[in-house]
Amino acid sequence: MNLIEAEKLYENSVKILKNNQHEKGGFYASPPGTRYPFIYPRDHSVAILGCIEAEMMDEARRGLEFVLNSQKPLGEFSQRYDVDGNDASYKDLQIDGNGLVLFAMGKYFEATGGLFFESMADRTFVEKHWETVKKAVEFILMNKNEEVDLIHTVNSIHEYPAYEHGFEIYANSACCAGILAAVKMGEALGEDVANWKAEAEKVREAILTRMYSPRRRSFIKCIRVKEKSSNPIGYDAFASSVIDVDVVEYAPAYFELIDQHDIKNRYTVRRIHDNLWDKEIGGLNRYPEIWDRNNGGYGPWCHFTCQLANHYIAIDDEDMAEMYMGWVLDMSHNYLLPEHISTIERFEIWYEDYTNAKILRDSKLTMIENIRNHPKWKDGMAYVTIPLIWPHAEYIRTYKSYIEKFG
Amino acid sequence: MTRIENMISRAFLIGIIKMVDKNGIQNALEWLREIGEEMAEIEGPGFEGAREDEINYLPVCPFSNTLLDFIKIYGERPSQFVELINLSNKQMMEAEDGWDYPALTTVTGILHHSYLKRRGMMAGVELLNVGSRCPRTNNFVYNEKALEKANMTKEDVDKYLEKAYYVCKINYLKKE
Repeated sequence: MNLIEAEKLYENSVKILKNNQHEKGGFYASPPGTRYPFIYPRDHSVAILGCIEAEMMDEARRGLEFVLNSQKPLGEFSQRYDVDGNDASYKDLQIDGNGLVLFAMGKYFEATGGLFFESMADRTFVEKHWETVKKAVEFILMNKNEEVDLIHTVNSIHEYPAYEHGFEIYANSACCAGILAAVKMGEALGEDVANWKAEAEKVREAILTRMYSPRRRSFIKCIRVKEKSSNPIGYDAFASSVIDVDVVEYAPAYFELIDQHDIKNRYTVRRIHDNLWDKEIGGLNRYPEIWDRNNGGYGPWCHFTCQLANHYIAIDDEDMAEMYMGWVLDMSHNYLLPEHISTIERFEIWYEDYTNAKILRDSKLTMIENIRNHPKWKDGMAYVTIPLIWPHAEYIRTYKSYIEKFG
Repeated sequence: MTRIENMISRAFLIGIIKMVDKNGIQNALEWLREIGEEMAEIEGPGFEGAREDEINYLPVCPFSNTLLDFIKIYGERPSQFVELINLSNKQMMEAEDGWDYPALTTVTGILHHSYLKRRGMMAGVELLNVGSRCPRTNNFVYNEKALEKANMTKEDVDKYLEKAYYVCKINYLKKE
């Protein structure tokens, strides 16, 4: 891997974060005038994590301030907001947003203190928003099923209810980690958070047992359940499991609920690599092609590839780390990263499928035009939504870990 | 087909009919508006649907499945629904602040207009429902006073109604 180029991509990623933060604090998912000029708490939280890693603490604090002030009355952080912080969602509940906001806030709090946590940590900020934190945790717990101690959602990271409606691994890991972050912040403020801690531990235990398949040696994607309060859930109309490989089965380690070296995590990552590493163009796909919801054509995603690169860095596997991070670097175009990459052939298959099925929405037409007009099209590649802010934030985290470990 | 677990939505539609019969059209109209407003207070400020510049629209009719199924089961559009729509649209045309009313095509529009409008107000904007498309007949209905206030023509709205069911101009209120 060319480390000079890797550093240039890092530097541009920092610029991308700075340039895509609205003056009111929200990070656009993609720049104004492109596909996602809104603030999505999921993407926004990862942008904050990127800022923290790049030591842009002022930007991180403003980002947190924005999203915490945008909380809905019941404690939910909704699917997306406009730049003024008004709910502009068009999809059903995505509860991982609550977990991610709390997780990012916890990371900010830790980072402001660093080695001198007792004297330096930004307690004032956490105190100011403590009521918001409480409501965010209570909202998560409001969606916990008491029979299995898992959090119910309709959508999660892929916004795809067909595979995510129920108890989904990413949403549960994010929410569990979010509550644990709130516990740490609460303890630092002297708040009574014992009940939250006990509830989070129950969720963690349920993830590690109910959502892990010893025979498959992997975490599983989802326990499909229609209603959050179904009891017994065996009688729920959807009762079934999604056992297909999904890249977010890595979520328990991503959210630090288990150690990167934990055998459950290492086996899960092996299954992800074996099944989702793209044999034609490299990089990690997010789920199997046959789920057939591949806007712009099936292909690998930069931010998921960065996440797994982080895993290999953490377990000291330099070859694999370089293969993953090097792929992301190779795919950048003018130091910009797309949401995902496909080939013209796969793009045309997707286009045919969606046109014939009459499920190609008007809003996709601009995306299609941009893909066809991108210079990489002439190289046979479909670059979908470029730049996307999320992969730049993940790349910042990966690059810093890589340099710290192997640089 | 009704199953106990999905009876609430149909029960609500029957409730509208019963409310008109028991308390009159005007009371039923207000009752529906109040429900929408109360739900908006619970949900908080915001907009639902797609947005292009200062236009907010719903690409799908949120209640069409429930409503059209109900009408099929019921055999015809209940007269109480028609009376409610006619009364609301009459008020829209006659009231000085007619721009505040929905361009109504379905009875459930009373509920979702009051809900969306209140959420918009909490976010500091006035949503002017300039036009709607009926999910049953595909007919367009306009609110002339809202069009005038929004400085839009029917042709402007038609572009959105080709792909949407409920179109609003976002009118930003001046902050004190």
